[in-house]
Amino acid sequence: MTSADRVVDVVGKACPMPLVALAKEVRTMQAGQTVRITGNDPIFEASIADFCRERHLAVLDTTREGRAVSMLIRI
Amino acid sequence: MGDRRVTILLQSGELDKALSAFIFANGYAALGLDVTMWFMLFGYNCLKKRRGLWSLFRRKTDVARESAYRNLETDNVLQPMVELFNRGGARHLPLSQINLGGVGPALLGVMLRKKGIMGLDELIHSAADLGVKFKMCQICFDAMGISVEDLVVPDVEVSGVAEYARDTLNAQVNLFI
Repeated sequence: MTSADRVVDVVGKACPMPLVALAKEVRTMQAGQTVRITGNDPIFEASIADFCRERHLAVLDTTREGRAVSMLIRI
Repeated sequence: MGDRRVTILLQSGELDKALSAFIFANGYAALGLDVTMWFMLFGYNCLKKRRGLWSLFRRKTDVARESAYRNLETDNVLQPMVELFNRGGARHLPLSQINLGGVGPALLGVMLRKKGIMGLDELIHSAADLGVKFKMCQICFDAMGISVEDLVVPDVEVSGVAEYARDTLNAQVNLFI
């Protein structure tokens, strides 16, 4: 698993908490930095993918482990 | 923020409807859209600081501040009397269905916590933190004798239907709940 500049853990949190937590992290970051967000909400992966599409962020890597999904995002 | 705008008008005082409004507000704001929430009628009950019964009648009117958006000469004793039955507060709202005399909201609260879903007060503070703008209906404030000091969010604007019309015409999405 590649290392990231920031880590956000929203395991156990449901919609819209992962989006809100990621938005709050992203606004303190600079272009080019990366953030890894991990969650296990059933719609987590689709929600974060939509978030990245809307905000024009790149998903570099997605890893799944059971229900938990971890996504590496570049700002 | 960006040039994409959303307006959400909340006129209902029930917990389920306030939750919907704030979940959408948080979602849109998180996605980077410019969100303005309007509150009218029972809609701003969720933003009220919960007051004690006696303090409703002892409340001092801040003339300098409140006269900016209220007509203080026509204030009357009915206002605190109605507020007595309409105290609001994010943790004290009824449900529109299965309220069960206040048991319903308590059960829902337990269910939300178990599922990791944000509660209403958390959603309100998160929306404010994400830059959601709050605008209040001026005639509702005047009729009910409400002050911006009675609300949990510090930055609110009190305005009328002309500004609401402009806001909605300039937005791509308008929700009315």
